[in-house]
Amino acid sequence: MSGGAPAVPRRALFLRSFALQGSFNYETLIGTGFAFVLLPALRAAAGGDEARLRASLARHAELFNSHPYLATVAVGAVARLEAEGAAPELVGRFKAALRGSLGALGDRLVWSAWRPACALLGLSVVLAGAAWWAGALVFLAAHNALHLWLRGWGLRVGLRDGLNVGKTLREAPLGRLGDRAADAGAVLAGFAAVLAFGQAGATGAQHALGAAAVAAGIALGFRLRWAAAAVLLGVLAAGAFLARTL
Amino acid sequence: MPFDAPTLALLTVLGGLLAADATSLGQLMLSRPLAAGVLAGLAAGDPARGALVGALLETLHLGVLPVGASRYPEAAPPAVAAAAVYAATPGAGWGTVAALLLLALGWERVCGSSVQWLRKRNAALAVRPGTESLEPRWVAGVHRRAVALDVLRGAVLTFAALVAFAVLPPWIGAGDVPEGWARLAVMSVAAAAAASALRVFGTKRLPLFLLGVACGIAALVLL
Repeated sequence: MSGGAPAVPRRALFLRSFALQGSFNYETLIGTGFAFVLLPALRAAAGGDEARLRASLARHAELFNSHPYLATVAVGAVARLEAEGAAPELVGRFKAALRGSLGALGDRLVWSAWRPACALLGLSVVLAGAAWWAGALVFLAAHNALHLWLRGWGLRVGLRDGLNVGKTLREAPLGRLGDRAADAGAVLAGFAAVLAFGQAGATGAQHALGAAAVAAGIALGFRLRWAAAAVLLGVLAAGAFLARTL
Repeated sequence: MPFDAPTLALLTVLGGLLAADATSLGQLMLSRPLAAGVLAGLAAGDPARGALVGALLETLHLGVLPVGASRYPEAAPPAVAAAAVYAATPGAGWGTVAALLLLALGWERVCGSSVQWLRKRNAALAVRPGTESLEPRWVAGVHRRAVALDVLRGAVLTFAALVAFAVLPPWIGAGDVPEGWARLAVMSVAAAAAASALRVFGTKRLPLFLLGVACGIAALVLL
């Protein structure tokens, strides 16, 4: 183990982190999952003391939440604290302080910027006429490049910095990365919207419909799904009506 | 039914696994329609047609953000079903695509509600308030059971969608819609959905969005 970090089963923590949200619930959120991920480290820290292991598991199964990709920061830091024999009250306060920032940071970077930007990149590849597999491959490769890096980096800095990991999080350029991803996503949204309408087979005056669709999309924003359902339903109803009357 | 029994079973299992990928296990985004459509298309025999439906559904999912403990429509089971039905029905045209997108939009809400049910079930299964001691085997057991339940939930929802999506489009006369109309409507919806993603990134980025529009127009003219 490098950087002075205690001996914890790093690979087991990393692999288990992929199942962190397996028992997500509305009472303890990812609490049970956090205990599940941390179990190998708690077992190592307990050193055969079963009572200590059971008590630490109960503490870590309590309410906790985080963005799943950044939760390894908390996993690593808590694994280190437990290995060092930190007081349970200190570990509890540390987790409470960390969970808000890990959630907000991850939501802003991953869900609100990186993932939609990667999806639009993949969509642009599809709409540009690439091979059937290319869009999905580009999307998965781009998205998971950051995803896997975040999990690995989080565990590494958590184990290395322990209680001081908050400073590392503040200094990491995650916010700037999110801003740049959002910039790229905005360009790709415009690009993909035009390419999508380009596949509509529009002729003559129908091209005005493309501009209207783009403007409507921007205006509707998050309510677009309802309008989309209404348009599709209208077209199907009109088709059925025509089939019965003509 | 456009599938034989082994294909139906394969797609059902695929739907279950991809549903779990969304939250419970992996979060590699194989559950997103763009990827799920390709995988379902491969299983159903025509990945290109599966990819088309997956891409169209992906545009409609760009604005769905799983922020905090929010409740949102679930993508994977409807995407697997819609893409597989379209892939396995070679004669189906744009009217069928429109019907499958509409059905998927509705089924995503049902699937989202089932996720809420699962989370309440998980609370009953995994939460022991006031407990000061937990057995390692108990923690691992309830966690694995919760993941397995999510896979089962996704499989059941995918199976139901596969049956419904195969039967309903012909029954409502989706094939009667003129191809030109249906294609224009579907791709206009996709264009609007892609444009709506600007709200995800913030409307202050409108100049960048317009730059993308200009690049798109240039690409259409040049290509």
